[in-house]
Amino acid sequence: MRPTGIWFSSYAAEARILETRRARAWLGLLSAGLVCLPLLTGPWLLGEMTNLFITMIAVCGLYVTVGMAGQINIAQSAFVGVGAFTAAKLSGLGAPIWAVIPAAALITGAVSVLFALPAARVKGFYLALTTLAAQVMFPIVILALPMSWLGGLVGLPVSPPSLFGIGLGTPSGLYFLGLAFAVLAVWTTYNLPRSRVGRAFRAVHDNDSVAGVMGIPVTRIKIAAFFAGALYAGVAGAILAYLLQFVTVSSFTLFASVWYLGMLIVGGLHSPLGPVLGVIFVTLVQEGLHSAGNAILQSGSGLGGGEVFAASSVVLGLCILAALIFEPRGLAHLWTQTMTAFRLWPFPRN
Amino acid sequence: MIELVQILIEGALVGLVYGLVAISFVVIYRASKIINLAQGEVLVFGAFLLWTFTEGAAGMGYPLPLPVAIALTLAACVAFGWTIERSVFRPLIGQSGFTIFMAGVALLILLRGLAQLIWGAQSRSAPAILPEGALELGPFLVNTRLLIGAVFTIVLTQALHVFFTRSRLGLRLAAVAEDHTTAHSLGVSVRQAIAVAWIMGTVVATAAAVVLLSGSILSLEVAVIGFKALPVALLGGLESIRGAPLAGLIIGIFEALASAYLDPLTNGAASGLLPYVVMVAVLLIRPYGLFGWRKIERL
Repeated sequence: MRPTGIWFSSYAAEARILETRRARAWLGLLSAGLVCLPLLTGPWLLGEMTNLFITMIAVCGLYVTVGMAGQINIAQSAFVGVGAFTAAKLSGLGAPIWAVIPAAALITGAVSVLFALPAARVKGFYLALTTLAAQVMFPIVILALPMSWLGGLVGLPVSPPSLFGIGLGTPSGLYFLGLAFAVLAVWTTYNLPRSRVGRAFRAVHDNDSVAGVMGIPVTRIKIAAFFAGALYAGVAGAILAYLLQFVTVSSFTLFASVWYLGMLIVGGLHSPLGPVLGVIFVTLVQEGLHSAGNAILQSGSGLGGGEVFAASSVVLGLCILAALIFEPRGLAHLWTQTMTAFRLWPFPRN
Repeated sequence: MIELVQILIEGALVGLVYGLVAISFVVIYRASKIINLAQGEVLVFGAFLLWTFTEGAAGMGYPLPLPVAIALTLAACVAFGWTIERSVFRPLIGQSGFTIFMAGVALLILLRGLAQLIWGAQSRSAPAILPEGALELGPFLVNTRLLIGAVFTIVLTQALHVFFTRSRLGLRLAAVAEDHTTAHSLGVSVRQAIAVAWIMGTVVATAAAVVLLSGSILSLEVAVIGFKALPVALLGGLESIRGAPLAGLIIGIFEALASAYLDPLTNGAASGLLPYVVMVAVLLIRPYGLFGWRKIERL
C-alpha cells in the first residue's frame, strides 16, 4: 500500500519498482557506497563481499526456481559447480571472460534441463528428488571422468580474467565483476515477476492444474524455471571459479545446496527482496560467529574452526525453523512491516 | 561361478541394510506423511547416543552393562523423537507439503551442527554389539554381522507390517498418512501420529546404525547413508513397509554386480551412480514405486 499523497500521472511512473524519489536516492547512495568500497578497505573485506555477491547470484536463481515457480531444487550447488568447471575448462582453453560467463550459464542451464525433464511425468517432491540425484551424481561423474577432461580428484586451475586488456584478477577487479553480476541478478529477479513468463511461473506455483486449464504449458514452464535458475547458478559458478583460481568437486556439496535453500527461506520465498536479505543476514551471522569464535580461540580454549561452522549450522537451522513456524514470509516481510511502521509513526500499524 | 554367487550374497546382505534404513524413512512417511530428508542425520544421532551410553560412559569411568546401555539409548531415542515432534512438526500441522519438506531441510542443517557441537567432528570406533566374523557356508563366506542384520530386518519388516495393517494404532497412522485434515476431522490425533512416527523412525534408524556400524568407524559422514536409502525407499514405494527390504535387495545386488563388473570399465563410477539412476528411472516409469499407494499427486 502506498501512503497518501503519492500518486502518479504517467503509466511509466506507475510501473517503476522504486516509486519515490527518496527510494531512488537511497539506492543511488547504496550504489555509490558499493562502488567506492575498494578505495576504502583492504582485500579481506573485498573477498568477503565478492563471496557474498556470488552467493547472492546463486540464491537469486534459487528464488526463481523455488520461490517463483514453486519447484524445489536441492542441486543449486551442483549447478554452481557445473558453471565453475565450465568456466575453468574454457578459460584453460584460452577463452576470454565475455565468452566464458555466458557459456557457463548456458551449459549449466542445459544440464539443469536434463534433470528437469521428469517434470513431464511427476511433480512436487518427486521432482525435487531428481535434483537430489543431480546433486549426488555430480561429484561421482566429475571424479570418474579422465583427469585430462575436468581434472578429476585434483581439480582444474583457472587463469585470471581480463577484459579489454585490464586484468580483473586483483581483489578489486573480482569485486567489481561480482558486483556487476549481482546487480544484474537482482535487477532481473525484480523484473522477472512482471513479465509474461514470470506470471506463468507464479500461476504454476499457486496451482499447476489451474495453470494448465488457463492455457499455460505447465511442463515447459517448469523446465523453464529450472533453466532460468541454473543460468544464475552458472554465472555464480563462473565468477566463483575466477575467485578461487582452482576448482575441485569438494566445494560443491549437497550441504551447500541445503544452505542456499536455507538462506532463501530465512530471507523470504515470496519477494525478490528475500534472497538479498537472506544472503546478507546469513553471511553476517556466519561472520559474527566466526569473529566470536576467533576471540574465544585466542582466549585459549580448545575451540576449532569446525565448531564455529557447526555453531553457524545450528543457528541457521534454528533460523529456518523459526521462519517456517513464525514468519513464513521471511525477513523480506519483516522488512516491509518495519518500513510501514516507520512511515506511519506515531500512528499504530493496524 | 562361485565368485558370482559370493558377490550376490554380499550384495543381498548390504542391500538389506539399505532396506533397514529405508524402513526408517517409510515408517515416518507411513505414519505422518513427512518425507524426512534428514534421516541420515537422525541415524548418526542414534549412533552417537548409543556410543555415549557404551564407549562414552566407559571412557568417563562408568561402564554400563550392555542391556542397560541399550535401554538408555532406546529411552533417549524416544525423547529425541518426541522432542522433534513437539518443537518442529506440531506447529506445522496443516501446513503445505512444501513447508514440511523445508522443515526437513532445516533439521538436516540443525542436527548436523548439533552432532558436531556435542560430539565433535573426529571419527571414533563404534561400539561392537554384533559379533564380527564370517560364517562359512560351503565355499561361500557370509559376514555374521550383516547376516544378523538381515534376519533382524526381515523380522522387523513383518512385525511393522502387522502393526500397520492389523492394530488400531497402525490403522490410525495410515489415516494420517492419507491426509492430515481428513484424519483430524475423523478424530484421529495427528499429533500422536507424528510423535509415534518420529519415535519409531528414530529407533529403527538407531537399529540400522547398529547393524551398519557395529565394530567399524562412526563419524558425521555416515549420514550419507540416508541419501543412499532414499532411492531404496522410493523404489519400494514410500507407503510400503514390505517394499523397502525388497527394494534394498534389488539395489544392493545390482550395486554389487556393478561394482564387480562395471566399475573397472567406468573408473569406479557405475556402482555409485546406480542407485540414483534407478531412482530417476523409477520416478519416470512408476513414481509410486513397486508397492506404494497409487497416487501421483503428492508433495
